[in-house]
Amino acid sequence: MNVDYLVNSLYLIKPELAIASALVLLVLIDLIMGNNKKFLPYVAIAGLIAAAYFIIGQFGMNSLAFVSKSNKGMIIADPFGAFFKGIVVFASLFVVYFSIKSDEIKASFERHGEYYTLIFGMILGMFFMISASDLILIYISLELVSFSSYVLAGFTKTALRNSEAALKYVIYGGVSSGIMLFGISILYGITGSTNLYEINSLIQSSSIPNLTFILSGILIFVGIGYKISAAPFHFWTPDVYEGAPITITAFLSVASKAAGFALLIRFIKITFIKSVDSAGYWQLVDLIDWKTFFIFLSIITMTLGNFAALWQDNLKRMLAYSSIAHAGYLLLGMAVLSNQGMIAIIIYFAVYAITNLGAFFVVMLIANKIGSENIDDYKGLGYSQPFLGVSLAIFLISLTGLPPTAGFIGKLYLFIALVDAKMITLAVIALLNSVVALYYYIRVLKNLFLSRPANGTFEFKVSFSNGLVLVLLAAPIIILGIYFTPLVDLAKNSMQILGF
Amino acid sequence: MLTEFGKIFVFLLVAVIFVIALVIVAWLIRPSRPTKEKLMTYECGENPEGSPWVKFNIRFYVVALIFLIFDVEVVLLIPWALVYRQFGLGGFMVGAIFLIMLGLGMAYEWRKGDLEWERAKIIPPVIKRPVFSSKETREAEPVKSKQLV
Repeated sequence: MNVDYLVNSLYLIKPELAIASALVLLVLIDLIMGNNKKFLPYVAIAGLIAAAYFIIGQFGMNSLAFVSKSNKGMIIADPFGAFFKGIVVFASLFVVYFSIKSDEIKASFERHGEYYTLIFGMILGMFFMISASDLILIYISLELVSFSSYVLAGFTKTALRNSEAALKYVIYGGVSSGIMLFGISILYGITGSTNLYEINSLIQSSSIPNLTFILSGILIFVGIGYKISAAPFHFWTPDVYEGAPITITAFLSVASKAAGFALLIRFIKITFIKSVDSAGYWQLVDLIDWKTFFIFLSIITMTLGNFAALWQDNLKRMLAYSSIAHAGYLLLGMAVLSNQGMIAIIIYFAVYAITNLGAFFVVMLIANKIGSENIDDYKGLGYSQPFLGVSLAIFLISLTGLPPTAGFIGKLYLFIALVDAKMITLAVIALLNSVVALYYYIRVLKNLFLSRPANGTFEFKVSFSNGLVLVLLAAPIIILGIYFTPLVDLAKNSMQILGF
Repeated sequence: MLTEFGKIFVFLLVAVIFVIALVIVAWLIRPSRPTKEKLMTYECGENPEGSPWVKFNIRFYVVALIFLIFDVEVVLLIPWALVYRQFGLGGFMVGAIFLIMLGLGMAYEWRKGDLEWERAKIIPPVIKRPVFSSKETREAEPVKSKQLV
């Protein structure tokens, strides 16, 4: 008996260790300091920066951790994982800052220890989700993310819609993760292994009962689809996004989705791949027709998200539907099933993360002051608050995908990938969807700049630090919209998945 | 002709039809004379006392959760304690970290006062109706939840 391989692999999971130690530290400080909670966010930020430092180190790595005689390895350390972990840490840093400033979170002051601890639990789960190569670990990390986010969605407790959000989230989450577990058990029953690499080599060499295998693949996708809020599994998204505190909504819409997409790409690419041809297209094992599946799913997701967003008056709810639509665009990149599509997804995601965080930040700042997220209450805000108005305009235009912003670059690469794969019809459908999206994003801008306020003006100032963070989020969108080479280079570097 | 699954299907079908047929036949031929005693909920011969929909004190759940944690701890620690000599230092560290984590959980419960049965009366939170809303101006009439003992 030997457990040294466990200890020897620890250097490959340094980011996870940093997050775990920060979590323990947060609990300890919360216990020791009692009612003094003002150090917690700084400890959280320090932990995140430490994790970010180790993640940068992971860009050069390409190895499996926890390899034993009976298992080909539980965790992968590769540039692909490092990129998505980077997105998670980036989002977490901003969410911690938002939490310091949010009135909703400030109000439930005595539970701040739990708040940051749960956020760190979520980050830890997402890190493992991003880098897991074993079905058991995938499931456990998915549950870790889910459990923490259920509690966080209902964190403010005193608002009715908050409890509603948490309860709906628990019910949908419980059902879909149960379905996923069923799929995993079928897959294990067929192949006798929980390791993705082993399953891959098994299904390439031996004959597998076709129908059962399709069933298991689709069932596993249910769990992942729920995390990325793809169309038939999206029902929780609007209610949870609207009801949860804004900081958590921003976190769910960026970080949780990033982890979900990383898991999806890794699962599809490692488990089902046969070979990658010279043009970068993935030849998948002939068992499940993932291409058709993703095409249908992305069309449904995009269309549903965009058309449902048209009728929303609550900006948070509208952004929830828009995030469903964006999941649809991202699934287009999956439908291409090529390295080019994957680069497009990575670029799109980097842009989407910055933009969405920014949009939610502005919504939060305004809600802090006027106590409303209703689009009608934003009338004339662009005049009295030009700074907030212009930054919201930048974020919304980038979400639409219009030229001077980075959102355009994301869409551009996605459509190029589609056209290269000769999926013109799909590209046209996506393009038409963007036109629909333009309507509801511009409607907000119309209220900001073209309408007069209904009752009085808004007299408040944006503090220096908030303004700085807003610039930090808005500037990259403009800069990356014009000079996007670094982003593309980063994407090309981080598309390497171990083994392919 | 029939596959193995087909046989199972026939078996299930027969089982379902058999049960339905039995219930219908019994309903047709049995006499029906309901009395108060027959319609009462069966509680081992005692007269039923109150409604089963009673609210339990939330602290029972906390105690159950704490119990669960230590239950799992014991399940994991006994096998580890039997073989940790063979694992060497690495194995010892793994167990030690696990124990420290659980100890932290224990400290958390202790500090937050979940181990005390006698606690100050909890003031139920005042739930505000729609927090942010401009259209519906019915200003938060607080919903007071009933105080539990």
